[in-house]
Amino acid sequence: MSCSPFDLRDYFLRELTDPQRHQVEAHVKTCQPCREELDRLGVTRAALYSLRDEEIPQRIAFVSDKIFEPSPWRRWATGFWGSAARLGFASAAMLSAAIVVYALRPPAPVQVVTRAPAQIVQPVSDSDIQARVDAAVARAVADVDVRHAETNKQLVADLEMARKRLLLAAAELDLSERRGLRDKVANANYGPPHEVGQ
Amino acid sequence: MIFRAVEDADLIRQAGRGSVEAYNLLISRWEKRVYNYLLRITANREDALDLTQDVFLKAYQNLRKLDDPGRFAPWLYRIAHNEAYSMFRKRRPEADVDEIEPEATDGGITVGGSSVFPIELSLAVASALGRLSPDQREAVVLKIYQGFKFDEMAEILACPVSTIKSRLYTALELLKVELAPIKARGVS
Repeated sequence: MSCSPFDLRDYFLRELTDPQRHQVEAHVKTCQPCREELDRLGVTRAALYSLRDEEIPQRIAFVSDKIFEPSPWRRWATGFWGSAARLGFASAAMLSAAIVVYALRPPAPVQVVTRAPAQIVQPVSDSDIQARVDAAVARAVADVDVRHAETNKQLVADLEMARKRLLLAAAELDLSERRGLRDKVANANYGPPHEVGQ
Repeated sequence: MIFRAVEDADLIRQAGRGSVEAYNLLISRWEKRVYNYLLRITANREDALDLTQDVFLKAYQNLRKLDDPGRFAPWLYRIAHNEAYSMFRKRRPEADVDEIEPEATDGGITVGGSSVFPIELSLAVASALGRLSPDQREAVVLKIYQGFKFDEMAEILACPVSTIKSRLYTALELLKVELAPIKARGVS
């Protein structure tokens, strides 16, 4: 039984704090049995160190395997759709392109309606003519606005559908890769699973 | 003092993002230690090499589950411990793992060649380690040869620190009785 203030084996195994170590060292200076015990432990450790580490006979390295890496398509999809700025820019670019195409498209042909001449001709004032012209212009502008709104709505819907299809395709691709990885790991035959990194 | 331009934690983070090159560099830093740990608890070079490969493959597959890169070493050795004992169980499923002794190899795991220690001492050490129980031997390997702290050993072996200390102290007493006199004669 050691008379040291702390367990000599803990001191020997470097498990004591610095103040504790200092106390043991001070004690050992004045205690012959404890000094001899430490000497024996030291000799034992030196003997154990005669078994030195061996070099590993074969270096271990992994090669880049597709099964452990996301596919290029998956990386692109993740990178693209994962960035809000890129997604916003792409949406804005597609909308701009659609507006430009619509603006450059030739106007729809004007339907000419011929009417039979009125039997009774009534005098028409300039103000009536102006009011009719204004109304016709207003209706034409409203029609154009409605067509613009419908076209833009259709374009946005198409864009959203395309984005969902891309995400669905990426998810399906990822799922198939995970199944492949699961099958490969299962085939590696590692035996019963157990806890890791506990 | 050893200066490393890239710390293990950086390599672990890069490997976790899929960098095989970073993981290979990490392996090169740890493969020798893990191999020698497994060699000393299995006493078989082929088993130790196979297990080392399995350990690093399993570590790669589970790297994202490692929350704290600073705990990589005990986490890695925990995998190594599990792999070794899984192999023991497969080979001797009817036996209690604590009673399983490592297989003897020709010449044991002694170090020959240019060793500065007498070959008799190396043989005596191998013999003394061989007489310890597997638990005691593993505690000695983790503490003396691998330099782990008690709390890390408890994490690797999944048992309380008090159990670790008990195994280690008992082993040290047995080794001291056998090796201290031999060492005194052999080296002095």
